[in-house]
Amino acid sequence: MPTRLRLEGDGGDWIVEVSGHTVTLAGEPPLTVREDAGGGLHLDAATPAANGIAALDGDTAWVSIDGEVFAFRVARGARRGGKSPTRDHDALSPPMSATVVRVLVKPGDHVRQGDPLVALEAMKMELPIRAPRDAVVAAIRCEEGQLVQPGQPLVELEP
Amino acid sequence: MIRRVLIANRGEIARRVIRTCREMGLTSIAVYSDADAGAPHVREADEAVAIGPAPSTESYLNVARVVDAARGGRADAVHPGYGFLSENPAFADACEAAGLVFVGPPAAVMRRMGSKTGARALVSAAGVPVVPGVTPASQTERDITAAAASVGFPVLLKAARGGGGKGMRTVRSAADLAEAIGAARREAERSFGDGSLYVERLVDRPRHIEVQIFADAHGGLVHLFERDCTLQRRHQKVIEEAPAPGLTPAARDRLTGAALAAARAVGYVNAGTVEFLVEGDGDDARFYFLEMNMRLQVEHPITEAITSVDLVRAQLLVASGERLPFSQGDLAIRGHAIECRVYAEDSRRLLPQSGRIVRYREPGGPGIRVDAGVVAGQTVTVHYDPLLAKLITHGASRAEALQRMRQAVREYEILGLRHNLAFLRTVLDRDEVRTARVWTTFLEEKLEALVPAPSTETRRAAAAFAAFAATREPAPAVDVTDDAAGARHVDPWDQLGPVAW
Repeated sequence: MPTRLRLEGDGGDWIVEVSGHTVTLAGEPPLTVREDAGGGLHLDAATPAANGIAALDGDTAWVSIDGEVFAFRVARGARRGGKSPTRDHDALSPPMSATVVRVLVKPGDHVRQGDPLVALEAMKMELPIRAPRDAVVAAIRCEEGQLVQPGQPLVELEP
Repeated sequence: MIRRVLIANRGEIARRVIRTCREMGLTSIAVYSDADAGAPHVREADEAVAIGPAPSTESYLNVARVVDAARGGRADAVHPGYGFLSENPAFADACEAAGLVFVGPPAAVMRRMGSKTGARALVSAAGVPVVPGVTPASQTERDITAAAASVGFPVLLKAARGGGGKGMRTVRSAADLAEAIGAARREAERSFGDGSLYVERLVDRPRHIEVQIFADAHGGLVHLFERDCTLQRRHQKVIEEAPAPGLTPAARDRLTGAALAAARAVGYVNAGTVEFLVEGDGDDARFYFLEMNMRLQVEHPITEAITSVDLVRAQLLVASGERLPFSQGDLAIRGHAIECRVYAEDSRRLLPQSGRIVRYREPGGPGIRVDAGVVAGQTVTVHYDPLLAKLITHGASRAEALQRMRQAVREYEILGLRHNLAFLRTVLDRDEVRTARVWTTFLEEKLEALVPAPSTETRRAAAAFAAFAATREPAPAVDVTDDAAGARHVDPWDQLGPVAW
């Protein structure tokens, strides 16, 4: 009985069927994944042949091919999963756990694309959250000193 | 002689110091925050002391807690590693007051050289060339703007006390100054507790070359040649090499001579590094003093590789009051070494990353050394710097060291968070890197080309592997190089040939 999965991540969104070593990406011919004794994965018949490693951590499948890292959110069945943690994040939420060190705008401010809105600190580095477009600040959803998480909106813009 | 050494640090450098303590028969005492209770440096040290919560201000940066841990652990010396308290003169004073030997220069020297202005004036008086720059006495935005105009754009804003790229900003025109001042000042305040900024003329397209010096308390002073750390991003070094490619013997003599003059002028003791910006080629290359790092450097292994000196061992001997275990005449450059810093980062978006390492395997073979701060199963947190490991290769020639590095980067397996191995691979394959025609902003200027989007074929293979892994029995975190797995443990010193001292 093949297992149907939905993958979402920076390597793209895919619906996949897996049956043992046979992996079929929707609409494509089946691929055979060979696993070696060291846990290395190989697509021998693919053009070009690919070699990599992969592991599941919670609902995230991590893959590395020639050092290039891919992360996929894995959902069983073909229903649409939640928003992937690894897609391009909304520019107005932090890309990782971080501390708000400074809120640089206030509601009603007109901002230009690229203007810094909030300064975050993570891993000893200051990272600005910038305006993705020209807009007006509708609301501030964080305060200085607050620890914020990915996906959490920090600033709302309009339109 | 020192018997019990407390290591006031974490990660790869703590493990590095523990290793040498072991070799010298000294007892090593680790310190750790709550977030690091399961970290490898804690397990590997002979003893370990908890020093507080995860934020470094409440643990690794807390002078009182670290000194208390040293007292409680009956340490007689403290090795600060790099970063954290390593260049904090108040910490060196507190160690001394508690009867502990601080493995580093005297606090008075740190005070003299800790301020960029003071350091420049001192070395300048000793005949060492410096880049034009100023720390405005008044630190208002207006005065900093005026200082930038007098120094001449482009300028570099830096924390007046500090290093490691924290609080540093390049500003190309007056229009960008206000935002840069705010960000640089806040970073400086948080990292060093002092938001004073230093404004410096940016030397365009320079190379960053630094000289390793070593002094004892008996007047002994030598240099251990130079390191080229030109490949940086956001002023954080990424790839370093020794010796500096293309540096002529005459230019090397002038550069090392200037570094020794700077060290002598300040009365330096222990391991230190004098950083220079270098412009031009050949015997006429011009160089300017940047700053002095009064600690062991992150990139010290490449110097160890080309000189066969264990720098940590020499630090501990000199701190014990002994004479330098080598003279200038004993030291020679043997081959070429390269170091790549493996960071937990999203190379495309230049963001540090956190996560759990679910698979980890280090490269091996002749001329390969890995100084890692992580092991399989470990969680990399947001609390500390994103350096995962340093990969060092050594070869008879630069071409051999570079080829070994390309292979080693390819072999290195880290799964469970984003890292820069693919970025390093692309950089190492660049023609400019092969021919050493690079400058300090090279990586930033070429960024787009250095993080190419993966091909459709690669993404398709990634999806197939992800699906395969997701339907397989979940495997426990595997450290393929772990001793328990039967792999031979390779001591880096084995690969350097006989150690002369």
